[in-house]
Amino acid sequence: MTTLTSGSRAAARTPRGAPARPGVRFARVLVAEWTKLTSVPSNPWLALGTVVAAAGTAYGLGLFVRPDDGRSGSWVVVSGFVLAQLGFLVLGAVVGTSEHTTGTARTTFTAVPRRLPVLGAQAVVTAVAAGVTAAVALGASYLATTGPRAGDAPALDLAVPGTTRALVGFVVVAVAVSLLGLGLGALLRRPADALVTGVLLVFLLDLTLSGNPGPVTDTVRALLPSAGTRLLEDDAAVAVLDAATRGPELGAWGGAAVLGAWVVVVLGAAAYRLVRHDVR
Amino acid sequence: MIEVEALTKRYGSTTAVDGLTFTARPGTVTGFLGPNGAGKSTTMRVVVGLERATSGTARVDGRRYADLPAPLHAVGVMLDARSVHPGRTAYKHLLAMAQTHGIGRARVQEVIAQTGLEPAAHRRAGTFSLGMGQRLGIAGALLGDPATLVLDEPVNGLDPDGVLWVRRLVRELAAEGRTVLLSSHLMHELALCADRVVIIGRGRLLADATVQDVVDRSERAGTVRVRTTDPEPLTRELLATGAQVTPQDGGVLQVRGATVDEVGTAARRCGATVLELGTESGSLEEAYLQLTGDAVEYRTADTREGAR
Amino acid sequence: MSASTMPRAARPAATARSGGPGFARVVASEWTKLISLRSPWWTAVVTVVVAGLITYLSASASSVDPGFTPASDLTTGLMLAQIGPLVLGVLVGAGEFRTGAFRTTFTLVPRRWPALAAQVLVVTAFALGIGVLTLAASALALLPPAASRDLPLGLTAGDTPGIMLRTVLFVVGLALVGLALGALLRRTVPALITALVLVIFLPVVLMMVGDPGVDAAGMAAPHQVTVPGAIGAFTPGTAAQLMTTSTSHGPMPGTPDIGPVGGTLVLGAWVVLLLVVAAVRLRVRDVR
Repeated sequence: MTTLTSGSRAAARTPRGAPARPGVRFARVLVAEWTKLTSVPSNPWLALGTVVAAAGTAYGLGLFVRPDDGRSGSWVVVSGFVLAQLGFLVLGAVVGTSEHTTGTARTTFTAVPRRLPVLGAQAVVTAVAAGVTAAVALGASYLATTGPRAGDAPALDLAVPGTTRALVGFVVVAVAVSLLGLGLGALLRRPADALVTGVLLVFLLDLTLSGNPGPVTDTVRALLPSAGTRLLEDDAAVAVLDAATRGPELGAWGGAAVLGAWVVVVLGAAAYRLVRHDVR
Repeated sequence: MIEVEALTKRYGSTTAVDGLTFTARPGTVTGFLGPNGAGKSTTMRVVVGLERATSGTARVDGRRYADLPAPLHAVGVMLDARSVHPGRTAYKHLLAMAQTHGIGRARVQEVIAQTGLEPAAHRRAGTFSLGMGQRLGIAGALLGDPATLVLDEPVNGLDPDGVLWVRRLVRELAAEGRTVLLSSHLMHELALCADRVVIIGRGRLLADATVQDVVDRSERAGTVRVRTTDPEPLTRELLATGAQVTPQDGGVLQVRGATVDEVGTAARRCGATVLELGTESGSLEEAYLQLTGDAVEYRTADTREGAR
Repeated sequence: MSASTMPRAARPAATARSGGPGFARVVASEWTKLISLRSPWWTAVVTVVVAGLITYLSASASSVDPGFTPASDLTTGLMLAQIGPLVLGVLVGAGEFRTGAFRTTFTLVPRRWPALAAQVLVVTAFALGIGVLTLAASALALLPPAASRDLPLGLTAGDTPGIMLRTVLFVVGLALVGLALGALLRRTVPALITALVLVIFLPVVLMMVGDPGVDAAGMAAPHQVTVPGAIGAFTPGTAAQLMTTSTSHGPMPGTPDIGPVGGTLVLGAWVVLLLVVAAVRLRVRDVR
């Protein structure tokens, strides 16, 4: 029973499951992360909920827009973003935290001990999932607002300056918000913390500060990730925002750049924590 | 092959692992033993790169775990059966693992069959019993057909069939020339399937030897047990020959320092009737309790000295 | 070892020795559970600090206005601070289910609803403390801006005492909304999403269209109730905002004039409704 062996029985053997080119490569981690994202039932439900929230809100708001509101057709179509952004934020935060809350991290990071490829792959699959969801949500919002736009609400007219940017911006900002959620999730590792921080950054801080316009508050507002939603406004609306502010005038793309910088910084911090800290 | 050298892991002011050195060799099942909180799991987590060592090294096949080009093929790991997203099916969980290394779906089906998970493969892992979760963990460890396996409490929560299955599996894996490092609280189980044991207490190495060596160290090992109708004359006779005698209930004497032959002869000399006579072999459990108990007693003895 | 050598006497029935899980004991147990976690304390600290900070910033910004009255800025920090009690409630309500601690709780208190009732009680008590401290922090934050204009705080004038009372109720009410949603949905993330939508996002969405806005001549439209505004007044979020809004501000644009007391009643009704649904679910559905 107790044979004392010291490598005597070790024989040269090739692993049965070994592929032609063994090892972890980014493309493989990417495929694995996609499987993980799509195999948790709550994620497709979340995507569906986001689409419904976007289209439902756009429809509801469209009913109450009148021609003399000064709002454009693109505003009506993308207006659901105010609620839908929560869905994109949650999507990213869930991808970022679920490894740590469920203990899947132990499996994942023993299979990919270098860790960073996992975060990279998560960023790619989150961006793809958010982009597709946002495109579908935009299409659904367009269809849902057909009725209101035929009525009192303004028609969608691509000739209005900035309309195309507002429509594309819906998808772009959705992707950015989901990546911000991913970064916060991977950084904070707890869903409640990540969600609350995310909601503060993309929505609530801006809303609170807007109650007290001034040079300081307007500057702070311009530097928050919520500035990214300027991309969703047409040219006339952006001009109104820039005229009203007592802080820096960002234009549409300036706001997008601020949001992009937040995404890069938060994901960078998450990468640093992932590499430096122990996985529980 | 797993080589742990002078490994130390501290969390703030607590030292979980303290200068630990041992080697788990190919073709061998190495049992990893220690009381709760002795640092077994921490050591295993450092070995597979989830935590970084404060000092010292842990290498697998001569490399740091993180430097392995294909970790799943090198090391199969099962640390905690609950390392699965409860919303994901067993099949998808294994598939996602396999995809990181380009392992095909056929192999996923193979390990599912091998671990008896077929009926549950498409159920969400959150609905699994402890035993099912354990089988899923083992399936994940086998996925890459690795040369080394690190299994933390693999028989926890398994039914007797499952325990037997793990025992055979582990023996087979070692017989194929693989390195197996296995922790367990079930001494009896470990005595049956391990070749060597590494015993730690408070993060320090207490013993690193073959199971037989450790068993031989237990106090009872090598003693003679005799049951007689006349314990008192026999005790006097044996003490006269220089043996140590510990009387027990029911006319049983535990004799140290005498062979079976000598005890038998002594019984004839004093006219005692022998009902039972034989050498005692220790057990892994006894040896373990003595070793780890000493580690604890060492400290309590210290405080007693101070009190006096 | 010594226990096994002692002569075994028949164990007295547990009830004879210490009694069962009476309600007071369940409350004591829930209180211990609440204050032994770190998250409630963190939430409390952040809520109080944020309320004070935002109130200070707002009051400082508006102190340059000629018609500045310090007391009117008292509740400006609540817009941001409201997320604190909401999260606290969700974490307590869903926490037991998330961590598996409910198995212990419900084997100790098999009738279950006393555990929920006790949670309501201890969260109310804890949130009451947060509410009072939030109010105190907000009032303190008004001191420097008021001093810069040599104005009295004026906390006893007009409807300010009522607003102060309702500020505390506001904090307690939102904590209980969070608790009920957590207990009802049993998972942190869905409960948190629902709470955020109900309390924070929905009021803003409805406000976006409920506001009749300005007419073509640039004059504020006379108060008219709009459909979204009417719906909005009955969401817990808007109702909560109404609680702490001075009546001198007039009704919110587009919403029916239910006043601060109406807002308090609406929020109270939401709390009762959600808690009843959570209690029913607890009673009829298995816990796993």
